[in-house]
Amino acid sequence: MKLSYRLRLLIVLISLGVLTGGGLLLKHLLLPDSFGVYGPYRANAIAEAALVPIRHGTNASCFKCHAYEAGIHKTGRHQTISCEFCHGTYMDHVENGRKIGTLPVKREKQITTLCLRCHNTEIKARSELVIKTVAMPNHLADQNVKLTHNCNQCHHVHAPLKYIIRAKQMTRWTEAGR
Amino acid sequence: MKILDPSPKMNRRSFVKNVLNGTIAGSLYLVWPMGGDSLEIPEQIPGIRDTAYDIHNQAFVFIVDITRCIGCGSCCVADKREYNVPDGNYRTWVERYVKGFSDQIYVDCPNGGLDGYQHPRTDIDEDIRDTFFVPKLCNMCREAPCVQVCPVGATFISPDGFVLVDEKRCVGCAYCIQACPYSVRFLNPVTRVVEKCTWCYHRVRKGLLPACVEVCPTGARKFGSMRDDTSEVYNILKGPGVLTVLKKEMGTWPALYYKGARREVV
Repeated sequence: MKLSYRLRLLIVLISLGVLTGGGLLLKHLLLPDSFGVYGPYRANAIAEAALVPIRHGTNASCFKCHAYEAGIHKTGRHQTISCEFCHGTYMDHVENGRKIGTLPVKREKQITTLCLRCHNTEIKARSELVIKTVAMPNHLADQNVKLTHNCNQCHHVHAPLKYIIRAKQMTRWTEAGR
Repeated sequence: MKILDPSPKMNRRSFVKNVLNGTIAGSLYLVWPMGGDSLEIPEQIPGIRDTAYDIHNQAFVFIVDITRCIGCGSCCVADKREYNVPDGNYRTWVERYVKGFSDQIYVDCPNGGLDGYQHPRTDIDEDIRDTFFVPKLCNMCREAPCVQVCPVGATFISPDGFVLVDEKRCVGCAYCIQACPYSVRFLNPVTRVVEKCTWCYHRVRKGLLPACVEVCPTGARKFGSMRDDTSEVYNILKGPGVLTVLKKEMGTWPALYYKGARREVV
């Protein structure tokens, strides 16, 4: 069978068209929505990543309700410490403005452990410019208190020098004249 | 008939503009529910909430100040809580570097720093010259090797400069885990997709600092926008202080800078 030139051209063009159309259709079916808007990835993934709900709030979100603690925490040396590090995440505690759970409060030896996470002199990489460190139990001996004392028996955990400063004011006691 | 005086400061054009702006901003808040009551929390990164987010005109920078890091591990704890990271995997971690007088380097990182560093190392015989902590997290490379190798387009650099993972698209082949020079990626054993530090993209878009920056008690971790010339990171980068990036010779162009990093830090 001999085909004319025109018929052959037509067959080639039609098959090209079918292939292109099929390819485009296949691409459309296989590629997810919003693929290629910014580049070879799903642009909607950015919005999805932005929409993930947060779990940590900020100190300001805690202070909205806990005004008494805020008053102490904001004035002391520990003002840069996040509430949520010691107490747990905001979203475990509040949802849509309502309390949904109680966050733990550290007690006794837990407090000492927590304090020494930062304030331990044994770890040498702690510059005096950044943090005041103590060696335990030498610090207790130096201060003439029982070696079983926990940190919070002298230091308020939210404002560590609160009681120390007050004691100094009341007794006119100074470090030098001890 | 008495014609009411229009407000002297507002002509018709600016009135229409204001109304339109208000509508757009309002509708954005409707389209993007912020999750819980995060909008009630004061904004920490200025200029994110009050203007429409221009995704093509953003530049965020993370600075880790090694001289201020005390190795408390707050950042690691916050990170684990923010994302419920499975045990044994870390989106961010804090390494302890110990340098002896023989220039020998000892690095350890028990449990990624999650438990903090409570005790000094006892297994080193020589005298110790220098010791410091190095927090590690995603470097947000401008030329990210992990993005190059992804066969399905699941990991990408968003127009605002964040390297993110599309968890719906990821097939868990772990090519990117091998490609990352900084080892910040891991395969989540629960979801079977690759996960990595995102500099808390969901928090940044809500105008909040990343969780690790928020909890850092000494300001060793700093985050901010380079489009805001009042931000701390802008002024650090503008200033004369020496900043380094990790593995500069690899040409990845990280947006994570280190202040006070010794040359041994890799």
